[in-house]
Amino acid sequence: MARADRIAFVAPRFAEGGTVGGAETLLKNLAEHAAAAGRKVTFLTTCAQNHFSWENTLPPGRRQVGRMEVHFFPVDADRDVGAFLRAQQQIDRGGGVPAPVEEAWIKNSVNSRALCDFLKAHGGDFDRILAGPYLFGVTYHAAQIWPQKTFLVPCLHDEVFAYLGLMRCMFGSVAGCLFNAEPERDLAQRLYNFPAAKSTIVGMGLDPFEADATAFAKRRGLTVPYVMYSGRRELLKGTPLLCGYLHAFRERTGRDLKLVCTGSGPIEAPPEFVDHILDLGFVSEQEKREAMAGAVAFIHPSVNESFGIVLLEAWLARTPGLVHAKSAVLRWQCEQSNGGLWFRHYPDFEEALLRLLDEPALRRALGQNGRAYVERAYAWPAIMQRLFQALDHAG
Amino acid sequence: MSDQTFEINTAGVDAAKLVAEIRAAAEKKMTDGVYAEARIARAERLNLANLRDADEFLNFYLKCLRDAAFVDISDFPIRERRAFLGPALVALKKVLWGLLKFYTYRLWSQQNQVNGLLVTAVEGVDQKYAAKIQALEQRVQALEKQVAELSKAGEGT
Repeated sequence: MARADRIAFVAPRFAEGGTVGGAETLLKNLAEHAAAAGRKVTFLTTCAQNHFSWENTLPPGRRQVGRMEVHFFPVDADRDVGAFLRAQQQIDRGGGVPAPVEEAWIKNSVNSRALCDFLKAHGGDFDRILAGPYLFGVTYHAAQIWPQKTFLVPCLHDEVFAYLGLMRCMFGSVAGCLFNAEPERDLAQRLYNFPAAKSTIVGMGLDPFEADATAFAKRRGLTVPYVMYSGRRELLKGTPLLCGYLHAFRERTGRDLKLVCTGSGPIEAPPEFVDHILDLGFVSEQEKREAMAGAVAFIHPSVNESFGIVLLEAWLARTPGLVHAKSAVLRWQCEQSNGGLWFRHYPDFEEALLRLLDEPALRRALGQNGRAYVERAYAWPAIMQRLFQALDHAG
Repeated sequence: MSDQTFEINTAGVDAAKLVAEIRAAAEKKMTDGVYAEARIARAERLNLANLRDADEFLNFYLKCLRDAAFVDISDFPIRERRAFLGPALVALKKVLWGLLKFYTYRLWSQQNQVNGLLVTAVEGVDQKYAAKIQALEQRVQALEKQVAELSKAGEGT
């Protein structure tokens, strides 16, 4: 295959501001850096911003964003949400579902016929098409159009949807996959027998920053230690578990410890713990970084992650991580970096948090290791080299 | 609180070793019964799906659950935050509680019986299958030994 000069990115949402998930942020950042490197980048996405309603809130059409041309297409209005949720419920129970249920699920997922029509008509103009994350109708259908030059950026998790037959077909048809971490690649190999020759670990680059570790607490009048979580607050992300653990921790140890949260969604917490949460919602990058820098630890309780961007950001702020051992990727990142600890259950969590609270030298050492790891493994030049290596030398 | 303190330097930090130490400390405390309490059972309920592989932890969780299963039906202090009409409201609540107490006690004591029976049943099922698995493992070991001996004897002839 020739050098990938013209690259299309496909994602269900376009990351503007702080309102979208990690996968969309990752795709946008890769696209921006590819454009900055001189590649002609076109970004195809939907007019939706809200990942619950998928309402078309942005105007359809073409817009120039930096060096990228971004095309917004409406989400299909005839989507049967009831049928989608019924199929999703069946899939959620596990144990596999018949093919018609899988088809009903993907047919009524977030789809855009307009986007697919554009890709059918203009796909020939692109050397490579990068689509992700894996579990959306938009990605699934876009990947079927020009599979021989489509690369998935799957952000794959070990969850029931990954076991669907149609996902196996999609992974089996594309030219390659760009994974975020080794455990994600291993999962694809295990689930789909995905060939190593078509797999590349790319990830996302992060620019190092400096943040004042005392500024946030001073500004907010915080006089007690705090731990931090950033991201969506929902059951799948483990935030109710984190609140339950921290409440038990406070009661059992008598330590006054707060939880600082950024991100979106309601926080489900024991009523007695609510007063000890500082919910910042969406904040500026600077405020988030300063909050991270002052935290005792950044806690990531999710077991469904393909790439812990916020954990890497916390490490850049020199803050140690504390992650769920069941998250293969987050744990792998902690092992690789020596920048964080992991817990299986509450007793591990309590022991680890006590160590982090009582041993500033340990906190500093873990934080410094984490930062060194991010600077080493996630510098943009290295990321783009891996990306272009995969795209330019495919086939 | 952690009993141990360590001198740490950046180059010397080994996260896997630290986690192993933390696990050893946690497991010792679990054995000593430090964590067997209802608060942990409540905190852990959302983590159960992630603990399927941890057999020892399931035993520990069942111990916590035994404590958590019983609803506290004893009397409790009745307070009123609002200053306006506070004493009158407290008196009213006390009267209401006095009238309802018998019925709630009956309800919750029945619930406690059901909860206790359920925990006992779960423990019983767990013990039964653990014993069965252990017996099967021993049988497999014995059969493997026999196969090894037979193949050894076959090689000798």
